[in-house]
Amino acid sequence: MTFFGHFEIWLSAFLVLSLFSFLYKDNPFYKMAEHIFAGLSAGYYVGLIWQAVIIQQLVNPMFDQGHWWLVFPGILGALMFARFFSKWSWISRISLAFVIGNTAGVFLISQLHGFVLPQVVSTMISLNPAQGFAATLSALVIVIGVISTLIYFYFSKEHTGILGGTAKVGIWFIMISFGAHFGYTVMGRISLLIGQVQFLLFDWGGSIKQIF
Amino acid sequence: MNFWEKVSGMDRRWIYLLVAISVIFPMLVVIKFPVQITPEARQLFDAVESLPDSSVIFLTFDYYPSTLAETEPMSVAALNQMFRKNMKVVTMTTVPLGGPSIAERVTRKLAEKYGKVYGVDYVNLGYKANYVAVLKGMGSSIEAIYPADNTGTMLKDLPLMQKVKNYNDVKFIYVVADNGIIDYWISIVNAQYGTPVGAGVTAVMAPKMYSFVEAKQLTGLLGGMKGAAEYERLVNHEGNAIRGMDAQSMAHLLIIFLVVIGNIGFFATRKLRRGAQG
Amino acid sequence: MRTTLPVAVAFLSGLIMVVGFFMNPEKTFFGNVEEEVLQWVTIVGGFTLLLGVVSIVRVNSRVVSQKRKDWIYNLATLISVFAMAIPAIMPISSDSNFGSIFYSIFPESWSFLFGTGTYSIYDWLFNYMDSPMMATMFAMLAFYIASAAYRAFRARNAEATLLLLTAVLVMLWRIPMGEAFLRIFSDSLPGYINTYVMSGVNVAVQRGIIIGAALGAASMSLRILLGIERTYMGKG
Repeated sequence: MTFFGHFEIWLSAFLVLSLFSFLYKDNPFYKMAEHIFAGLSAGYYVGLIWQAVIIQQLVNPMFDQGHWWLVFPGILGALMFARFFSKWSWISRISLAFVIGNTAGVFLISQLHGFVLPQVVSTMISLNPAQGFAATLSALVIVIGVISTLIYFYFSKEHTGILGGTAKVGIWFIMISFGAHFGYTVMGRISLLIGQVQFLLFDWGGSIKQIF
Repeated sequence: MNFWEKVSGMDRRWIYLLVAISVIFPMLVVIKFPVQITPEARQLFDAVESLPDSSVIFLTFDYYPSTLAETEPMSVAALNQMFRKNMKVVTMTTVPLGGPSIAERVTRKLAEKYGKVYGVDYVNLGYKANYVAVLKGMGSSIEAIYPADNTGTMLKDLPLMQKVKNYNDVKFIYVVADNGIIDYWISIVNAQYGTPVGAGVTAVMAPKMYSFVEAKQLTGLLGGMKGAAEYERLVNHEGNAIRGMDAQSMAHLLIIFLVVIGNIGFFATRKLRRGAQG
Repeated sequence: MRTTLPVAVAFLSGLIMVVGFFMNPEKTFFGNVEEEVLQWVTIVGGFTLLLGVVSIVRVNSRVVSQKRKDWIYNLATLISVFAMAIPAIMPISSDSNFGSIFYSIFPESWSFLFGTGTYSIYDWLFNYMDSPMMATMFAMLAFYIASAAYRAFRARNAEATLLLLTAVLVMLWRIPMGEAFLRIFSDSLPGYINTYVMSGVNVAVQRGIIIGAALGAASMSLRILLGIERTYMGKG
């Protein structure tokens, strides 16, 4: 490994350890690393938007291919910055409305067509015992679980009587699902730690071993 | 103060130390329990494997650097399978912080290993803003949304992109994601254009995804590092996920132990607390 | 004007998407309009990310110029923003006017350092500083979740006990060691957890939540399109 290769790994390791030092207590190394991280991330956006949007989607098509009409989204984008001038900030609403309205239009269809319909359709399953015990049990679990969960989250009527009883069943289902969620969340968080420990032990450790 | 009160009031830093040991120790002393394959991971593997060689496949890098440990092994394993099958891979990202850099780094490394040529065997489209519009827009024309690839080369100059105009030309979409973008690959792309979508997601997102697998809106699922380890085993490529499984096991066992001890302490001291209140 | 114009823009922008769903995007004039609008949205969307950067620079510059407490950290943030951004927006060849001026000052052999490509300063700062720090920030959550599990995960009542038991079962099932342990009781036990917990009860609950949330999102979208929901415009 070259000197520069070692330097890269040691720099990363120093920053990683600076951040981990917060686990013991807050300290200047942590604060410095945290602020550098925020700055670099913001700077990353600038480079990305400059290359991927301003150059590739605006400047090149307008000047090289004569797509002059792209000046309009360019102006709409620039109007976003009117937010920083209190007198003119309302102008930025036009650009925002253009993006939000578009997303709402896509969502209005996709939420119903892409989520509600397929999920409802796959809940309409056969409960016929002739299909065998295991299949019937699975189907029952799905049907009862979906209905009771929906009722638990239905707040327009007081949860009493049949509604209350079904909501009670719903909460038992929800607890099992949230328990599974918690188990998975623990797994995810531990995995992220494993990734950083692998870096410190094998990459940084390897570099230490080579140097000393 | 009795024993259980002391245990219940233990300084959090002792717990942190135990967690650190539980992760570091198994990496030094390798035990290697076999990784069992779940039906969802097998389904994803089979879906890709059953495609004809040289098919065009989309691989997305919809994840931030924060979840690299879970997601990157999935991308690496998937690329191993795709390049081995000589598939034509188009990569892209909807994540603004790091997505394009990660996609570039991972694909170039794997392409070098398999001797693949950029522009012919694979293309990295990079990033474009507003993922809902990006996903919807690519349905009619990829070139309208991505006039150029990640490095600025015009799509018309890339041979592979001459035959990939929109989702109709894509056989399968393999999404690796750590955020809600997977919902839109399902509700916009799969639902409206009919292209099959398979997913590798972080563990936190996995429970929700089971619902889409059951509804056949997702063709296969990998959940977290364990899912990545399963895929590594399926494609016969031992990577960071399989190597991390021992540490994952020990840390889980420690957390279960902590939950048990915490509860014993809670019940043992409850009487004392009630006595003090009464 | 201040609210009517944005409401009208949102309505039109959304209407094109709703109507476009029912048309063949490749064969109709309307399909072309939809394609163009989507292209515009991706461009305008890019600018929204820059808003955040301008905010960060403004806030930190103010702290540094007024030399408030711990201003040195804010200075580090500012330096980092510019260290990442400036090399990234520099030209990578002398083809353009700006490029020819730039490379009359710097040797053209340095061009690989600029832009956002592999080996650029931008890419290096991301790979060796930004990326490991972001990964570490999230890795620290492992410690916090362990501490939280120890202090707060209590079997206080029947519901909490059910949640706790499922969590423990899933934690065991998702690790090779735990799965081997579960197989001691029955070889089919891990399969049952997958079938009845994850693909059974969990699917039912998630499905209920997905249906509910999607209905909510669709009605919110309709409110935005009709101009009833205007909170996204902010005050004033």
